Amino acid sequence: MYEELLEDIAQQNRLREVNTVTKLIAGLGAVILCLLSASFVAPLFIALVLTATLLVLARIDPATYGKAFFGPLLFGGLGVGAIVLLAGGEGTFWSWQLLPWFSLSITQASINQGFFIFSRVIGGTSALLFIAFTTPMTDLFLVMRRARMPDEVLDLAMIIYRSIFLIMDQLVQVYQAQLMRLGYSSFRESIRSFATLAGSVFIASWEAGEDLTRAMEARCYEGKFAVLGEGRPLSLPSAAAVVSFLAVSAVVVKATSHIRLF
Amino acid sequence: MSRIILEARDIRYRYPRGLDAIRGISFHVRRGEKIALVGPNGAGKSTLLLMFNGMIKPDSGTILFDNSPISYDRGSLRILRKRVGFVLQNPDRQIISPTVYQDVAFGPTNLGYTEEKVKEAVEGALARVGLTGFGRRPPHQLSGGEKKRVAIAGVLAMDPEVLVFDEPTSGLDPSGSEEIMELLDELNQEGKTVIISTHDIELAYPWADRAILLLNGKILQEDVPDVAFGNPELVRKARLSMPTLLELYLELERRGFRLPERRPRTVLDMLNVIDRAFRNKPCYTQPGSITLFNIDSSRDADISGWCAAHPGIPIGAMGTRAKQRAADEKIPLDFTYGVIDKCILKALLGEHSLIIVTGSMVERVKERVQGFCSENQVEIPVLFP
Repeated sequence: MYEELLEDIAQQNRLREVNTVTKLIAGLGAVILCLLSASFVAPLFIALVLTATLLVLARIDPATYGKAFFGPLLFGGLGVGAIVLLAGGEGTFWSWQLLPWFSLSITQASINQGFFIFSRVIGGTSALLFIAFTTPMTDLFLVMRRARMPDEVLDLAMIIYRSIFLIMDQLVQVYQAQLMRLGYSSFRESIRSFATLAGSVFIASWEAGEDLTRAMEARCYEGKFAVLGEGRPLSLPSAAAVVSFLAVSAVVVKATSHIRLF
Repeated sequence: MSRIILEARDIRYRYPRGLDAIRGISFHVRRGEKIALVGPNGAGKSTLLLMFNGMIKPDSGTILFDNSPISYDRGSLRILRKRVGFVLQNPDRQIISPTVYQDVAFGPTNLGYTEEKVKEAVEGALARVGLTGFGRRPPHQLSGGEKKRVAIAGVLAMDPEVLVFDEPTSGLDPSGSEEIMELLDELNQEGKTVIISTHDIELAYPWADRAILLLNGKILQEDVPDVAFGNPELVRKARLSMPTLLELYLELERRGFRLPERRPRTVLDMLNVIDRAFRNKPCYTQPGSITLFNIDSSRDADISGWCAAHPGIPIGAMGTRAKQRAADEKIPLDFTYGVIDKCILKALLGEHSLIIVTGSMVERVKERVQGFCSENQVEIPVLFP
């Protein structure tokens, strides 16, 4: 249900009316700048600006945002932990010869390296969440169409998008019906119930496919699915805001390239 | 009598698994009619409806559209489906695109309209079902009634002559159902032929011009609603129940009251019946007036001002655009369906009322009020501000 939640939030955020390309450039530009940066300062700066934008301008609930951030952060943290222990380098603080040919050590260089990568994780995550929270899938289809994505791919993507919610409904209904009749009371029962759940949802999606074909037939289908809706016009203030955000971030990247934690 | 637009000649159909669905049905539908197909589950209603736009081909017999038999090649079917719009029972099955705009645009795009014409058709259709501004919403966020309206808009965008609805009110709340029926009425007023299937005879009874009772793949009865639903034996056979008003009328008749010839279809009619039955003069002194506000003839007239000058007056709106206008001006509406009758009821109590109408509805209101007045020897003035 999590993806549904994210999409629903995106449908209602306060930056929905801002031109999609503008938002995409802000998000993707931020990712690139995070990767170009040689220091931890710029990614953290970018994360701060984008997070503030999301919470203040787009009115995203801070708790929801925090929850969404936590996953990638945990994953990144584990990776960074490994880097700190394995990277080695100068200025050893702590070291442990675990096996004759293998040692764990924490050094000044490895902490710098780890912290730098961790900041990139934060910056990159905030940039991607910025896109996810402000730009619903339905708006992205429009951009994909403009970007000359093949119609076949786009049609398929749109049908999948529409079907996800229908099949999700089915899934939840069957699951609740099972739960009400104690379908998950024991381990063995859970496995059985899960199998029937998967089976019935498979059949339901098969039927949904047949319904879809019929519905399209009944509505004069002749090979055209991907129609263009209306995009939002490019507005000067938001475009200017994105350009200045990226420009300032680029300056920060350049100016802080020498800064290390130690 | 207007021309016949749809005709079935002794059609039969058997499901692939060998069950007889339709066992010899013949009937016709005239242009501009409102037809209700009524019957129990499994009577063959949906199967019959799906034959009207060529989704199912009968095993034998012919279906004629506009006096020529339907042909089942791809090209002819496309033309037929443009002219006969079909709204499925479950809007989730009909809505196929990720946004409302894209879904309503599906038909026009596939008919090869230019992008501007598609846009025009979509906006027109959304306005007619009262969903202006919903274009970018994804369907899964809409309520049941809104989804139904999107499905209807998707069909209206192709501007069909005949609209076929399979159970238009299933799954909707009572007020939502009434509003959908009101919308069907409005579309019919604009010249569309409307055919529905339904279990809900309370809704079908006052709405339909003609009712067709279906049982086991055959027509049990085909007549005006008060006759079709007025035969207790047939109604029981078709696993339906008699409309309450009709039942009440028949009960009064059975008790020896002298009743007017015309059977009641609405509460107002019923009140009239009771009035006559008890040979009492009605309990009003002077009927109130009904003021009509035509939003099409007086675009910039001041409804809000009029309402402010007449506080406490009950206000009704007829037509999607009229309701939209009222919502725009933040005028609270007391009646949104069955408006004329409710205003006549108010008038009979000596109260005044206001109806906000679209241009096409003005005549209908006047006719209804005049008809009622001449039938009952009362004077209810219809005013224009």
